[in-house]
Amino acid sequence: MDLSDKQKIAETIFEHVYEGIIMLDRNYKILAMNKAMEQWTDRPAADLIEKDCKEVFHDSTEICPHCAASMTFEKGEMTVEIQKETQGDVTKYAELAAYPIKDEIGSITGCVVFMQDVTERMRFQYKVTETKEYLEGFIDNSADAIVTSDLGGMITSWNTGAERIYGFTKEDALGKFFPFVPEFLVEPEREMIERIQQGEVLRDIETFRKKKDGSIITVSLTLSPIKNAKGEVIGISCISRDISDKKRVEKELVRRNQELNRLFFISSAMRGTLELDRLLRMVLTAVTMSDGLGFNRAILFLLDETENVLKGAMGVGPSSPGEAGEIWERLSMEKKSLTDMIREVEAGPLRKDSFFDKLSTGMRIPLNEETILTKTVKEKKFFNVSDINKEPLSDIILTQQLGTEAYAVVPLISRDTVKGVLWVDNYYNKKPISDEDMRFLAAFANQVATAIESARLYEQLAVAEKELANIFDSIPDMVFLINTDYVVKNINESVCKRLGKRPEEIIGEKCYKIFHGKNGPWEECPHHRTLESKKEHVIEIEEPYLGGTFISSSSPIFNMKHELIGTVHVLRDISELNRLQERLVMTERMAALGEVAAKVAHEIRNPLISVGGFAKRLEKKLSGNLKEYADIITKEVGRLEGILNEILGFVKEMRIVKESITSERLIDDIISLVQSDIEERGITIVRESGGPIELYVDPGRMKEALLNILTNAVHAIGSDGTISIKTYVQNNAAVIEITDTGEGITDDNMPFIFDPFFTTKKVGTGLGLSITHRIIEEHNGRIEVKSSPGKGTTFRLFIPVNEINRTV
Amino acid sequence: MKILVVDDDLHIQRLYKEEFEEEGYDVVIASNGQEAIELFNSENPDIVTLDILLPDIDGIRLLRQMKEKDPKVPIIMSTAYDYRDDFAVWASEAYIVKSSDMEELKRKIKELLNK
Repeated sequence: MDLSDKQKIAETIFEHVYEGIIMLDRNYKILAMNKAMEQWTDRPAADLIEKDCKEVFHDSTEICPHCAASMTFEKGEMTVEIQKETQGDVTKYAELAAYPIKDEIGSITGCVVFMQDVTERMRFQYKVTETKEYLEGFIDNSADAIVTSDLGGMITSWNTGAERIYGFTKEDALGKFFPFVPEFLVEPEREMIERIQQGEVLRDIETFRKKKDGSIITVSLTLSPIKNAKGEVIGISCISRDISDKKRVEKELVRRNQELNRLFFISSAMRGTLELDRLLRMVLTAVTMSDGLGFNRAILFLLDETENVLKGAMGVGPSSPGEAGEIWERLSMEKKSLTDMIREVEAGPLRKDSFFDKLSTGMRIPLNEETILTKTVKEKKFFNVSDINKEPLSDIILTQQLGTEAYAVVPLISRDTVKGVLWVDNYYNKKPISDEDMRFLAAFANQVATAIESARLYEQLAVAEKELANIFDSIPDMVFLINTDYVVKNINESVCKRLGKRPEEIIGEKCYKIFHGKNGPWEECPHHRTLESKKEHVIEIEEPYLGGTFISSSSPIFNMKHELIGTVHVLRDISELNRLQERLVMTERMAALGEVAAKVAHEIRNPLISVGGFAKRLEKKLSGNLKEYADIITKEVGRLEGILNEILGFVKEMRIVKESITSERLIDDIISLVQSDIEERGITIVRESGGPIELYVDPGRMKEALLNILTNAVHAIGSDGTISIKTYVQNNAAVIEITDTGEGITDDNMPFIFDPFFTTKKVGTGLGLSITHRIIEEHNGRIEVKSSPGKGTTFRLFIPVNEINRTV
Repeated sequence: MKILVVDDDLHIQRLYKEEFEEEGYDVVIASNGQEAIELFNSENPDIVTLDILLPDIDGIRLLRQMKEKDPKVPIIMSTAYDYRDDFAVWASEAYIVKSSDMEELKRKIKELLNK
């Protein structure tokens, strides 16, 4: 091959290689440049020959062949460098290799720069770096202990997690044989290392590890071999996780689960019953059954807050070792499980006859004494007395009456208050009560307390409901509940009475049929309106079907979800009230008339009196015919006055209109008038009576007389005191004796008490007692008064017995 | 003995005055409540006849004022209309419906003064 051929080949290679090639002289003038170089410039290579490289590259791109060249010029040898070029989002990397061109004497005249696109390679390299950093960070920050060792088990790396879990620092651990392997596990550990050397991976091995402080923890291990590029095992990686807590929780969960199964069964059975006695028996059965809590004997004490004592409510257990043996034998023969027993208590008849039960229910432990039982209540803690002889506060009543030598007590706490205590012992088999037993007992006690609370509430609710039903039935107004479909759901007795029907004939029927005798809803129906407005409606209705005029009030009833479920109606018969009201209006009119009459009487009677009076005076002075004329005038005036009296309707000389009435009735009536006042003031009325006395008196006047004394008594007491009212017969007179525990009457005031307008009260007319006096006088009776200031006063009213006799 | 007559009717005042003087009593006359109280205080009457319907004051209030002053002086309520259902008049010593026949009134006065 001649030189020109070689030249040709060189040129062809120059133009077709993938690498860009550029030749520069020492002044960075471009001497040659191949086609591949165009990817870095955007311009045809031919245009760039003879151009200054610094101008060509620096302007358009950051790749600069002259930079590589300048290093080569400087160092006089080949240099390689990687340059980065960023255009918009695209980043490219180029590897530039600059070779010096030397002349014959070895001085550098120029430079050839080879440029290769290494973007892909660079990207990959970055990724590797990034991943490595990430992994290192991950290892270091991991909660797990991640350590590596050589094949001999000598530590080569130790992360922060390992420091935290094992307590050894990196410095402590590096270069040592697995410092966390406890002595007793060193051999098995070596076996594991051998398996790793065979390339095996050991995952999730639960084993023990020793911490720096010597304590042993449970860990989960993953051991894997570390291989080199050739796949040879060169080390071991060991990831361990502290699972001590997890283990504990797991263990706890299993135990809990067993406990909960039992508890759940018992408590669901307990919740099923709301009868307190039955519930208590269930509880105690659960406590004493062998597959329950398994105690020999148990007593439930409930707290009586009013008496401040713990009272034995129920006890379960054999009364003697013989009975114990018998019961246990029978139970094992019958193979009765706790479930069966509880079911039996739940459904069977309640037996409460054992000797032990009777013994238990008689027990009372005053809370002011300092014993284990009372401490259980006060401190809300459980106590396990393993030996009564070593416990000075052990309850004497229990040791003496039950012979117990060791026992345990847990409080029954519901809603943060102690409701009672549960006492247990193992009297017959002498089994010590373990901490485990105590814990279970305490857990059980919580269930019991809640159930007892519910049962008690239920009992109270039942009582309240009964009371409510009683009240409901004793309301004289008709009360009834109607649902949204106009169906009567509930009624009180007044409804039955008024309709003359039995409850079953009314409940379930449509209200319009029952109350209005209609076949469809009544258009004015208050029920209907209440349903629409969800508000109370009160109307007055005249309903001939029910035979009267009524005030009907209907109020909506909502259920717990605030949905309207019906209405409650109260129907009050106001026919009588209306009649009374009419009478009142009449009376008022009469009173108005009376006033007019008084005026008329005054205007007419006065001149009449003058005419008549002076005519009479004339008559005295005159004689003969004239005297007769005067007499006529007098008489005619007398007649006119008579007519006037008749018109005005009051020729009633009898002020007292007597009737037969019993002393009891009189007193009942006046007490009812002051009832609300005395209740407010906390005054008690005590009545003593030798039987009713038939009196013949003016009831209105007599009541007025008694009422004045009674009101004075109330005022004299002010508040909190007693008024006693006695009735008896003495010396042909009925005696009504009213004694108060009030301030009394001073000797200075005593002579004036019956005087009109005499009063010691700030508010009062001073007429009360004078009127009383007058009324009693009108009845031919008398009044006696005895008083000691500061202690009280006694009024005795004597009404003559001949007055009584007249009635018979 | 001195009688205080309280009445706003002039003829009745004269009739009462003549009738009572004839019986030998001294008579002082008041036409309204104010005069009545003044005379009750100044004249120290031994007995009072009192009409309930007076121009300036309710006779019952007048009764109370007099009783507060001196409860021992008997008072006869004498009116043209029957107030006996009104308990207040019970505080007076006697009550009569006025009549042209004065015998009952004169008997009551004698009775109360002799007590």
